Amino acid sequence: MGYTIAEKILARVSDKDHVRAGDEVMAKPDYVIAYDFPGYTDVYFKQMKEDFGIERVAEPERYAIFIDHMVPATSPKEEELHIGTRTWCAENNVPLYERRGIGHQVAAEIGYAVPGAFVVHFDGHISQLGTFGTLAMGIRRNLLEAFVRERISIRVPQTVRVNLHGTLQKGVMARDVFHHLVRTLGPASCRFQVLEIGGPGMDQISTEGLQTITGLAMFTGAITAIVNPDAARLAYALPRARKKIEPVYSDPDAVYSAVHDVDLDNLEPLVVIPPTPANTRNLSEFIGLELNAGYLGSCASGRLDDLRVAAEVLKGRQVKPGFQLNVVPTSQEIMAAASREGYIATIVEAGAFVSSPSCDYCFGRIATMTEKQRAVSTGTLNVRGRMGSPDSEIYLCNAATVAASAIEGAIADPRKYL
Amino acid sequence: MSLQNLRGRVAFVFDEINFDVDQIVGVKNIKITDIEELAQAAMQSYDPGFRDKVKLGDVIVGNHNFGYGHPHYPPMRAMRHLGIAGVVAESFAPGYWRGEISMGFPQASCPGILGLVERWDEIEVDWQANEVRNLTKGASLPMEPLSFADHEMLDAGGLLPYLKRSQNVA
Repeated sequence: MGYTIAEKILARVSDKDHVRAGDEVMAKPDYVIAYDFPGYTDVYFKQMKEDFGIERVAEPERYAIFIDHMVPATSPKEEELHIGTRTWCAENNVPLYERRGIGHQVAAEIGYAVPGAFVVHFDGHISQLGTFGTLAMGIRRNLLEAFVRERISIRVPQTVRVNLHGTLQKGVMARDVFHHLVRTLGPASCRFQVLEIGGPGMDQISTEGLQTITGLAMFTGAITAIVNPDAARLAYALPRARKKIEPVYSDPDAVYSAVHDVDLDNLEPLVVIPPTPANTRNLSEFIGLELNAGYLGSCASGRLDDLRVAAEVLKGRQVKPGFQLNVVPTSQEIMAAASREGYIATIVEAGAFVSSPSCDYCFGRIATMTEKQRAVSTGTLNVRGRMGSPDSEIYLCNAATVAASAIEGAIADPRKYL
Repeated sequence: MSLQNLRGRVAFVFDEINFDVDQIVGVKNIKITDIEELAQAAMQSYDPGFRDKVKLGDVIVGNHNFGYGHPHYPPMRAMRHLGIAGVVAESFAPGYWRGEISMGFPQASCPGILGLVERWDEIEVDWQANEVRNLTKGASLPMEPLSFADHEMLDAGGLLPYLKRSQNVA
């Protein structure tokens, strides 16, 4: 029997010929990535010195630190955290990427999404590197293990395979595909497993769209998501790759714990209603629900595809007076490209507030909602209090829906504007 | 390899599937760091008298995919402060599982647990036999074995002591 792409990657980084789901191995991550955040990086840096006597990491090029939260700082305490991060990176000769955009996106842009590589982070949204055939896992505080040891203990996960079929309709986006997976397979369908996405319908999903889908994998219970990279993904990833690794692919007779076929033909725009990412509904059931705000951005959305469709919807139209539309491109590279294409001008002229890349809109640090306020959002999450007051509400949807809803000040179907 | 069995009463059963543990203290209290204040907030919307009923060593029981959503650490910090020694659930969400195991807080995955126990039954979680026993009713169910690393981490008392201990071995 053959092996999955995840098994092949974990075999290589464990120095074994083969591993199977269920094996426990000691794996050496190709890259250890983190963003600075209180309780995580500041604690790691302290523990490395005080508890483990590590003054310098052994292979600094294996580490990458991003400053993308609390950007720009709004208090001396936040800036002090960033100063501590800059100091540690300089002392350790570890690459630091600051103000380049949301790290999970920037990591792909600057070559950490090496096809066939194994990457760890504390944040699970790093799974989006799976778009390029990289096995990238969020392991929460256990990331400390990767800061103080060369290898981390890991149980080789099983894999759930999803084959996409058919054609996406106008106004239906990659985000809807992901929310449809949660709805049809269930929020526990891939628990502790890898979500591997493939099938003939992959030609309907752009590279950016795959970043959206793989980046949200945790809400199916998956510990990461991965794609067997085709020519287009390799054409993006290989010239940027910081390391030479032979890409690997699942064998035709690889062993999966489940295989699902998902039809894209009849998919409609969806909405995920509060207070959990498991609450997927048809957008049509919520048309007209009054809103205060909209957020288009995050590591899940906010890429060129999203900005393009928002510009298309908003062109020659105006955001409803009183409605707060915040548009935050995911990275500087994307923001510059969107400017060159004219999307930013169109979005600004429609009355949106456009910000430079930052994670801070997604978790309510800025553009904070108060009780009884309600937003549509392309952020990652809709749990209580995620964007401010626990008594505010977040409806997750695609970028076109956010733009259409901004025009009407209420949840709207984007298809009539496209 | 001498992880101690859990033995205590079922202090509460969360029967909600995909339970978001942040609800234990309430999202509005999630940023509280003072442990006494957190413990005051805990369980208020489920059983306001919880604090007076719970005893050191009691456990809580959950349904499928316990810990789904975006789990934070304060709710279980509060529960440990109140005496809770571990969680037994039908199944767990991976992010929650990893986070609490790294805190050294025992979690046991036991399909069928909701049918095995009722609130205030005395139960035992046996890590050697991989079994959960209802001592009150005299029935038992197998549980899913811990991975070697999870077992070691719980035995050591959490991520930091685990890494320190295995560093010495190496």
